Amino acid sequence: MEDQDKARTCENQLEEEQLDEEENVVTFLDSMDAYLTLIDSLSSTLRQGWLELASARHSMGASRISSSLFDLKLHSAATSLRVTEDDVDSKMNQPHFTLCKWASSDNGKCCSGEAKFDGDELQKKSVSSQLRYRGTSQFDEPQEIQEKSPTCKSPTSNGSPLSLDSPVQKQRHKSLSVFGTLVSPKLRAAQFSFETALETIVEIANMRSSMLSAFDQVQKDIESISTGEQ
Amino acid sequence: MAGRAQIPTKSSALIAMIADEDTITGFLLAGVGNVDLRRKTNYLIVDSKTTVKQIEDAFKEFTTKEDIAIILISQYVANMIRFLVDSYNKPVPAILEIPSKDHPYDPAHDSVLSRVKYLFSAESVASGRR
Repeated sequence: MEDQDKARTCENQLEEEQLDEEENVVTFLDSMDAYLTLIDSLSSTLRQGWLELASARHSMGASRISSSLFDLKLHSAATSLRVTEDDVDSKMNQPHFTLCKWASSDNGKCCSGEAKFDGDELQKKSVSSQLRYRGTSQFDEPQEIQEKSPTCKSPTSNGSPLSLDSPVQKQRHKSLSVFGTLVSPKLRAAQFSFETALETIVEIANMRSSMLSAFDQVQKDIESISTGEQ
Repeated sequence: MAGRAQIPTKSSALIAMIADEDTITGFLLAGVGNVDLRRKTNYLIVDSKTTVKQIEDAFKEFTTKEDIAIILISQYVANMIRFLVDSYNKPVPAILEIPSKDHPYDPAHDSVLSRVKYLFSAESVASGRR
């Protein structure tokens, strides 16, 4: 009787291990699929940005949009990242990246899990990536960058110029002013496209971490299977 | 991987770039440009006059700097220093290969996908079975 119970327990354990292994494989395949989908989305966004940049260069002149105009004086990046350690199921530690857009000394820290910006413009321009999940999703992380700044006062629907009161708009304007005071609307459009590309890039970085973590798990499972067979 | 290193928490890390002028211009417009006290930038513009040594030096510098979390590198540039990129295996900074205007993204060359593709080969599948 005891032998039968032991055998049943062993069988259950084996089944559980097999389920875990299959789950790891599904997680790995999901993350790889999502990674490739995001890369495709990034390619589209970058193409749009390059086209807009080329249009801006055409209207403003090649000498007005050139690397010789880049600001080489001491300054910090207005858009940065926050890196934290993501302890997934206490198995593997992986880095988690959060984008902090247009943070400045006036703004204070904007990295509270979300980045603030003038949401309307970017929501129109942002490319939504279609991610398909086969198994249970570990990727239900909140989209980190889709919140309207409470200080934003920009009326965009009636075509009037964007207000410069918002610190975010000030930072954007500062970034554009490298290329002159009056810039082509295409240059502004390019700025938005590359901001969207940055968001996608951070998603790709997080997906890359998940994929490599899942890959390590699958590798371990394969090794344990081959060790067990020997 | 045994002995996985702790991932340091950083509150204000940079994005470094090794790419063509248009790509760098675009991302600088998005606010990622940084110039430190030594007048060093967090980007390298790659053009026809840039040597492979310069690209290698920039890659090594960016991968060893504490304040960089992601390195964006155009895939065609990564192909010039493929050995260096493929041999890099730390979680941070993360190396992301991006397309460029004249060179679309090719998953076959991506270093991350190269690392995992052997799982899909017939040999690895056969070795896992009885």
